[in-house]
Amino acid sequence: MIRYIPLTAVLLYCVGCVSTAQTQNTAAGYKPPSGNYKVVVMRPDIAASVLTAGGQLEQREDWTNTAREHVLDALRAQQAMRGGQATITVTSGDDPALRDLDRLHEVVGQSILLHKYNPYAQLPTKKGALDWTLGSLATDFGKSAGYDYALFVFARDSFSSGGRVALQGIGMLGCIVGVCILPQGGSQQAFASLVDLKTGNVIWFNYLAALTGDIRTQVGAADLVNRLLEPMNTEPKAKSKTKKT
Amino acid sequence: MSSSRRHFLAQAGVCACCLPALASAKVLDTGIESLVGPGYEPVDKDERGMWQSLERLEEAIRNSPKRLDAPKFDAYTRGVVERLVERPVPDLRIYVMRDASFNASMAPNGMMVVHTGLAARIRNEAQFAAVLGHEAGHYSRKHTITQYRSMRRKSSASAFIGVLTAIGGVGIAGDGVSLALVMSMYQFSRTQESEADAFGIKLMARAGYSPGAASEVWKQVIEERKASAKLSEQKYKDASKSAFSTHPATDERMVDLKDTAANLAGGNFSDHRDEWVAITKDHMPMLLEEQINLNDAGASLYIIENLAQDGWTGLLRYNEGEVYRLRAGEGDAEKAAAAYATAITLPDAPPEAWRANGYALLKAGKTEDGRASLNKYLELNPGAKDAGMVRFTLAQ
Repeated sequence: MIRYIPLTAVLLYCVGCVSTAQTQNTAAGYKPPSGNYKVVVMRPDIAASVLTAGGQLEQREDWTNTAREHVLDALRAQQAMRGGQATITVTSGDDPALRDLDRLHEVVGQSILLHKYNPYAQLPTKKGALDWTLGSLATDFGKSAGYDYALFVFARDSFSSGGRVALQGIGMLGCIVGVCILPQGGSQQAFASLVDLKTGNVIWFNYLAALTGDIRTQVGAADLVNRLLEPMNTEPKAKSKTKKT
Repeated sequence: MSSSRRHFLAQAGVCACCLPALASAKVLDTGIESLVGPGYEPVDKDERGMWQSLERLEEAIRNSPKRLDAPKFDAYTRGVVERLVERPVPDLRIYVMRDASFNASMAPNGMMVVHTGLAARIRNEAQFAAVLGHEAGHYSRKHTITQYRSMRRKSSASAFIGVLTAIGGVGIAGDGVSLALVMSMYQFSRTQESEADAFGIKLMARAGYSPGAASEVWKQVIEERKASAKLSEQKYKDASKSAFSTHPATDERMVDLKDTAANLAGGNFSDHRDEWVAITKDHMPMLLEEQINLNDAGASLYIIENLAQDGWTGLLRYNEGEVYRLRAGEGDAEKAAAAYATAITLPDAPPEAWRANGYALLKAGKTEDGRASLNKYLELNPGAKDAGMVRFTLAQ
């Protein structure tokens, strides 16, 4: 399960975050997609888990299935409002072109997440820049499938088990005697990236983490999708590009 | 690493004598039964979630370019598993992956992964069945989910103890208990490995495979590691001989399996070598090349010599030469030349053996013999990718 390591690294960083953390990164000269563009929203990677007392994330099939449906619905609604033509793929397992792009992005997306959002893994050569690319695999796919953009969405949501809540309760009791140990409860992490299929470059990337929210509900899924994707519509101000996030 | 761990354990007050790694050899309990039948579907929430979380991983493995494209070998592997468990196994998906390491794994959802490095080291179908039977044991006994549940219970206890002792200020005692819980997770894993060994050997005997093949596999692994360490001037150390190992110590597994096999003796057993040789014949050049390219001369020579116990072949001799050629140490060129020279006298020598022999002879100044060998290579393999280069050499 190597692909979860970068996310864990980000998680550690966010243990202290109480409110929603959200930062977007854009490639140089980023302009939001506009006009009559065609975007393919790749099969979103969604999972909902229970956080056990001991701290394991245990995926729940029923929650995950519900969350996937709600996120897909929310993506359809969100993309319909943006203009442009969006195709939302539910599976990519059988189409080799989609599958390869998905696999490549899995690695690149996790790298961006690690190196842009974990303060201990910053790369000197990537400072202030978002210059990752999916290369010819993406441009070839764009040409043959007739899309201008590909959008990737990843989300994980977790909820404390009864045991975890009890553990937190005991931890809080400790505060009375001056030893405050507060085990973290369920949390939400998501990231999305937009790839320009004409160049193959990742031109926009956003990550958010929150200790609230519930993608198992229609409202919660729509909220996550909007918070995650809304910033895509804003062209960054020139000076904000070099600003430290 | 290990000594600092021991030191750490001593400090934490956990006595090393109660660690299972020091347990003496035992005859494994072969009375255990499968918990999983054909068409098994999980019901519990944690198990269903675990299966679901494996979907993307399996999709990646299924479509991986590292997968060996060999439908006949896939079917053969499935056949061996079916023979072992005595039922069709539509619930298992078997993936053979191009990976030179000695390994196989079994996921709880029925995804079995076999490395080509395993096939390269195996002498007969019984040895192959020993590994597949072990993996089938993990699956049949639902080891992943039971281990997960045990871990969940213990880490939960550990979390409560951690918070309570911190608040109560009884850190040391609490840490000891938590550590004991961590240790017991590893022990649990080792117990499962032993159970899978026991289950596997039981299936082997029932299916008519020589049960002794199971301990042979481990004997080969130990000897190969020793040979590898010896040539690279390192000391052989069994990484699984630690209280933090998920697997029992390799030599103990070997002895336990040997004793258990002796207990099961008396049946009409066979190692089914012919079947193994027939199905791997076309893959052997690739399997050996993959191993030799690791440039671990000690391990490669051991593997070749171990396979040669069933008789030297031209392919094995050629690869022996390749090990020396790649290592290129003092006297290795001569050893390689000698191996190539022997290889071409054997009936199944690959065309490459003639090429290698030819170049070795040219280097040694035996121009006529060298040219003859290179010509023989072109004759045997007229469409070779390097035919132009060989012709260029001949034209000099």
